[in-house]
Amino acid sequence: VAKLCVCDLLVAQCDVNCCCDPDCSAADFSLFTTCSVPIVTGDNRLCSQKAAIYSLDVEANPPERIFKLIDQVNPSVFCIHATNYKQAVSFSSPEMPTSENFDRLLKQFGSASFSAEPDSWNMNTDAQNPSDANETYRYEYGVPIQTVDAFLRLPSPVVSSWCSDANPAGFLVNQATKCIRSVSVEKCGNVQAVSMLFYINSSILAVPKSSQMVNITVQSIAVQSLNGMRTLLNGSDVLRLPMILDELCINIVLGVSYHITYTDAGEIIEAAASFALGAINKEALSIQQRFEISFTQVNTKPVPLSGNPGYVVGLPIRAGFRPQGYPFPVEILFAPINTNKYSQLTILQSTSNQDCLAAQGARTPILFGYNMISGCKLRITAAMKCQPLTQTLLDLLKGQSFPEYVASFGNSQAQDVLDWVPVTHFHTSEQRIYNTFQSSCQIPVSLEIEVKWTKYGSLVNPQARIVNVTAAITTATLKQLPSGRERTIPITSSVVFTDISSPAEPGYKAWPTINAKLPFDFFFPFV
Amino acid sequence: LSSVPLQILFYVNGIYYIFYFLATLAMIVYKSQVFSYPDDFLGPDLALLFIMAILEVLRLSLAFCFLRGSKGNLTEEEAPLGLSLVITVGSVILSVYFLVWQTYVLKADVIINAVLLFTYGLESVLKVIAIAAFV
Repeated sequence: VAKLCVCDLLVAQCDVNCCCDPDCSAADFSLFTTCSVPIVTGDNRLCSQKAAIYSLDVEANPPERIFKLIDQVNPSVFCIHATNYKQAVSFSSPEMPTSENFDRLLKQFGSASFSAEPDSWNMNTDAQNPSDANETYRYEYGVPIQTVDAFLRLPSPVVSSWCSDANPAGFLVNQATKCIRSVSVEKCGNVQAVSMLFYINSSILAVPKSSQMVNITVQSIAVQSLNGMRTLLNGSDVLRLPMILDELCINIVLGVSYHITYTDAGEIIEAAASFALGAINKEALSIQQRFEISFTQVNTKPVPLSGNPGYVVGLPIRAGFRPQGYPFPVEILFAPINTNKYSQLTILQSTSNQDCLAAQGARTPILFGYNMISGCKLRITAAMKCQPLTQTLLDLLKGQSFPEYVASFGNSQAQDVLDWVPVTHFHTSEQRIYNTFQSSCQIPVSLEIEVKWTKYGSLVNPQARIVNVTAAITTATLKQLPSGRERTIPITSSVVFTDISSPAEPGYKAWPTINAKLPFDFFFPFV
Repeated sequence: LSSVPLQILFYVNGIYYIFYFLATLAMIVYKSQVFSYPDDFLGPDLALLFIMAILEVLRLSLAFCFLRGSKGNLTEEEAPLGLSLVITVGSVILSVYFLVWQTYVLKADVIINAVLLFTYGLESVLKVIAIAAFV
């Protein structure tokens, strides 16, 4: 304790006001005003420890330093009388690594963290590196699809429009690229990238780093002639390689479309490729190739999604029907017989001649977020009967098969019943006053579809979710016309999107609580 | 030799031991919170404290059994006392452990262990005298 000096910072020089500095002489001490470190003690929790007391005697002339070494006694009854645990009252100097203890020190201190407890307390060091050998891999979104030699390539333009073969296809990333490849009739058989073999040669690995392989099958081949006409070939098993025929190079790959089928465990189970082959003549120096890849989950019909999961503005709303005999267990899917073959909600499309009866049923899909209004003019003559006219107008407004259910998310699957919102129908009459002659004809004149949607999910990335769809048909009375006269009434249909999302509420953190517990392994040998 | 002082001493010992046990346990809790008390050291200390408690209960029950008279046939009446004396040796060793070899020996530890050792010593002397009176 007598040798410790906290204020001795300058080596071989006297620190100012540092009474314990051994570099200071008596003359220096006389210049001090006070002692910055009056006492140096050991751990004061010990019952008795040595203390060095430094003070300046200012009465004397010149002032001199007084140094006393005493035994300081801790009066508390809980002072440490003795301890058998070396590290308790002093810092331990770390072991110097030598060749004998290096391995042990590495095991103890070599990881990212280590506890200050003695060696036997190392329960977790063995659990840090589980063996990766038995881990099951699977494909995740965006991971390049691996093949036997490298990756499944989707040639795409890089920097310029020339094709580069180094673009790997990512799992579940639907891509479509087109690029230019330089090829000529002379190099017909030499350029690998225009031959079918190049694209189906290597098999795809079902899961990354496994030995399970999936062969790429040829789904269809379409041959395009020089003037652009495409014909689908019947037998698609034959591999057609480029060859020179009559000064043309035929069977050149102009486009490949991959269709990959995957399971929801991230495994690829099928891969098929459709080719478009063409021919080039002597003058051609380059061709444009198109490539696309699409992913379908096994046992589902590929339906173009309108958002994942929330609807994307501009994509069509998906709709469908509930099959007969619902509710039954989930194997019965929603039949995709819908307003149009892509199972979308559609609305009457205005045509240029604006004549309802001549409209021929042209319909346009309702795009999410876009309010639409369309209409046509109906010419009513005296000869028209009420009931067929009503039916015709209803067909016109609603379409051939107006769906009963609308998907609430852009990626709602047909099996998830709760993800589909029923369409509510309203009938309103244009006339408020009911006249006694109820037998007058009511014809539908307008259809208003109101789609209420809300923001769903996190504030950072809200997803659009359809909550409610109502279809309101407004009817008007058709007055009987004197014969020979005709009237034109406008028929309108509209779609309105309303955002009914409630404003976000702030959430506050919970009050901090006092955590007063014994250490969990307090009763170590007994628990 | 009347065994009244021995009897009084046994009662005092019993009460004092309860106090000793609770105080030592409380101080171990205090030490584990205030000082660095790793589990390797805490475990043995607590274990020995509980073993000492068990030994003490055994010892005192044997001693009281002697005082109340023997149950059953005429067994050697100094047997429970002798056994109690032997167990006292174990208790003394444990008390010395808590006095000297414990991880942290506070001044309070020193005081209560010293008192306990003094009590044991006195008790042992009186027990020896009582046994000698039978033999």
